[in-house]
Amino acid sequence: MNIQEILIFSENPDTLVELLTAGRTLFGPAGGRVTAVTIGPTTTEVARDCLVRGADQALVIQTGAASLPAENGLVLGLLEAIRATDPDTILIGATRTGTDVVAQLAQALEVPCASNCMKLRRDEDGNLEIERRVYGGRFTATQVLMGRPQIASIPPNRFPKADLVQEAHGSIKEVVVELPPPRIRVKATLPRVRSAVDVTKAEVIVAAGRGVKKVEDLSLLDTLASALGGVLAGTRPLTGDVDWLPIDRRVGLSGQTVKPNLYIACGISGQIEHIVGMKGARTVVAINNDPKAPIHAEADYSIIGDLYEIVPAFLDAYERTKRT
Amino acid sequence: MTGTSDTRPPNILVCVKFVPDPNQLQADASGHPDLARAPFRISTFDENAIEAALQLSTRHGGHIFGVSVTSGQVPPRDVLLRTLAMGVEVLYLIKDEARLAADPYRVAAVLAAAARAIQSAENIPSWDLVIAGEASADQFNAQIGPRVAMALDLPAIAYATKLELQHGRLIANRATDERSETLEVDLPALVTVGTEINQARMPTVLQVMGAARKPIREIVIEELPGIDLDALERRPSLRTIDISAPPSARKRIVIEGQDAAEMASHLLSRLGTDGEVKF
Ligand SMILES: Cc1cc2nc3c(=O)[nH]c(=O)nc-3n(C[C@H](O)[C@H](O)[C@H](O)COP(=O)(O)OP(=O)(O)OC[C@H]3O[C@@H](n4cnc5c(N)ncnc54)[C@H](O)[C@@H]3O)c2cc1C
Ligand SMILES: Nc1ncnc2c1ncn2[C@@H]1O[C@H](COP(=O)(O)O)[C@@H](O)[C@H]1O
Repeated sequence: MNIQEILIFSENPDTLVELLTAGRTLFGPAGGRVTAVTIGPTTTEVARDCLVRGADQALVIQTGAASLPAENGLVLGLLEAIRATDPDTILIGATRTGTDVVAQLAQALEVPCASNCMKLRRDEDGNLEIERRVYGGRFTATQVLMGRPQIASIPPNRFPKADLVQEAHGSIKEVVVELPPPRIRVKATLPRVRSAVDVTKAEVIVAAGRGVKKVEDLSLLDTLASALGGVLAGTRPLTGDVDWLPIDRRVGLSGQTVKPNLYIACGISGQIEHIVGMKGARTVVAINNDPKAPIHAEADYSIIGDLYEIVPAFLDAYERTKRT
Repeated sequence: MTGTSDTRPPNILVCVKFVPDPNQLQADASGHPDLARAPFRISTFDENAIEAALQLSTRHGGHIFGVSVTSGQVPPRDVLLRTLAMGVEVLYLIKDEARLAADPYRVAAVLAAAARAIQSAENIPSWDLVIAGEASADQFNAQIGPRVAMALDLPAIAYATKLELQHGRLIANRATDERSETLEVDLPALVTVGTEINQARMPTVLQVMGAARKPIREIVIEELPGIDLDALERRPSLRTIDISAPPSARKRIVIEGQDAAEMASHLLSRLGTDGEVKF
């Protein structure tokens, strides 16, 4: 087996250095090289961060654009990076932007791609073998990528950031790419609210579903979360259909995978696409007034009742016990 | 439907996948998905895609075509008819009994060829809009939409939350992880949508009855014009080795009590004993 050439890219600098860790875990006995790609106007700093964390090379794609190019521009930038390094393996961060980009890139190269991989390894033949969730997350598929390049996308927060190394050995290479005028024009843009806390690291999570009737009522669950030293999270309807909670607090297939000690699901029905995000919790409590809601089968302790009565009663009992 | 707007009546193609309903899919004794026993449904976000097409068509006129590549078993007729009851005018089924379209690259290549074939069969000068789901409910690749855009050389807007047609242009809102954006693109274009864009309506009884009169046109994949299946076969593949369900072992204890206060304190004492709540 030859040494592996691995290309990593994410427009999110944190995710990029997580991919560095993912890339390393794939080296075969002959070792490998990881090239980190950055695209855009102010990315030399990000490239340097990859080098001090042990990347073998950083490829800075200069597009001349004043901001991060649109998806199409990122695809063209990556095609250039692929020409320059001829990688066996390409790992892309599965942010929404990355998910879109990796699909277009793989189609341009006429190869498959495995999305949202939870685990990666090499099989005996040196091919990339991955595990990913299918059927809403109820099942795990083990799949093998064949041919070259082998492309996988990996969700943010899946791997730890690569540690700083004693001595950086890689170098930065700049490549200039001329982009055609973008076909999609940005008329307006607003930053989305991000959380100050990382739900994937929380030890206690109180999660809200559509059983919560008004945005103001979230404060009740927030009080519970704070009392237990935890964090408030939510289902897709509360983090997308309406913006009651930032999208990074969404637990589930299209959101975060969390593994707290305690997960209290309040007014959540328990569709598989939500469950898959909280399966790793040590203890699950469900509060739902519908005895037939699927969440009860996914809980250690269920209360069949109205969250508007149970949560205040629980807080009450908790404060009383704490005092005695 | 008549167009009463400044925009040419659009020809819209909706990509519809029929999937075994993940919320009704169980594992068999060996832990593998018991696909034969799960009912088919329209992939969740594709219902939103059909609804989005219908809303544009209600405003601007035009036509809505549906296309689906069915690999293996074809879903029962009532599930197919639901797409027509929801608003699709003609449904094209690309039947892939041998499961040649076995990975996202191949599915997208087949859909792109189908888009061209339908266009020529129906005498459509050009697609104005192709709409796909953000991700399919069974595979969750989140790839096919952007891939079809690449294959058809269309600009793609993924994760659209609002669509408007104006003077031959599409104005779309979309949300990435970092930003909410308003984007503008000349037609034709492709968009992908999720539940955020609309609430897909339930077809009325009348629409369900009317659906039976709308055409479903079948093309077997081997006869789809514009695709070289041998060449497709030679491309690298994504091979599935195993699909299994990780066992879940929850205690499933229902906390009893006369009232909220009693249930709450029973729960608290359980959590205290387990060491999950500290005082
Ligand atoms: C491809 C795909 C990806 C998805 N990804 C995600 C994801 O990442 N995360 C996610 O969460 N969802 C995801 N979904 C959506 C998922 O299928 C469900 O629609 C969603 O999780 C439902 O959210 P909910 O439980 O808040 O709402 P509902 O299903 O409406 O449930 C509300 C529950 O609240 C209960 N309730 C109502 N009032 C009260 C009360 N007063 N007290 C107590 N209980 C009450 C009701 O009995 C009901 O069970 C995805 C779907 C698809 C198809
Ligand atoms: N076999 C198929 N036939 C028609 N459309 C499909 C098919 N597979 C995927 N799609 C479309 O692509 C979207 C995303 O699918 P995926 O990339 O598999 O997650 C779906 O919501 C559909 O709109």
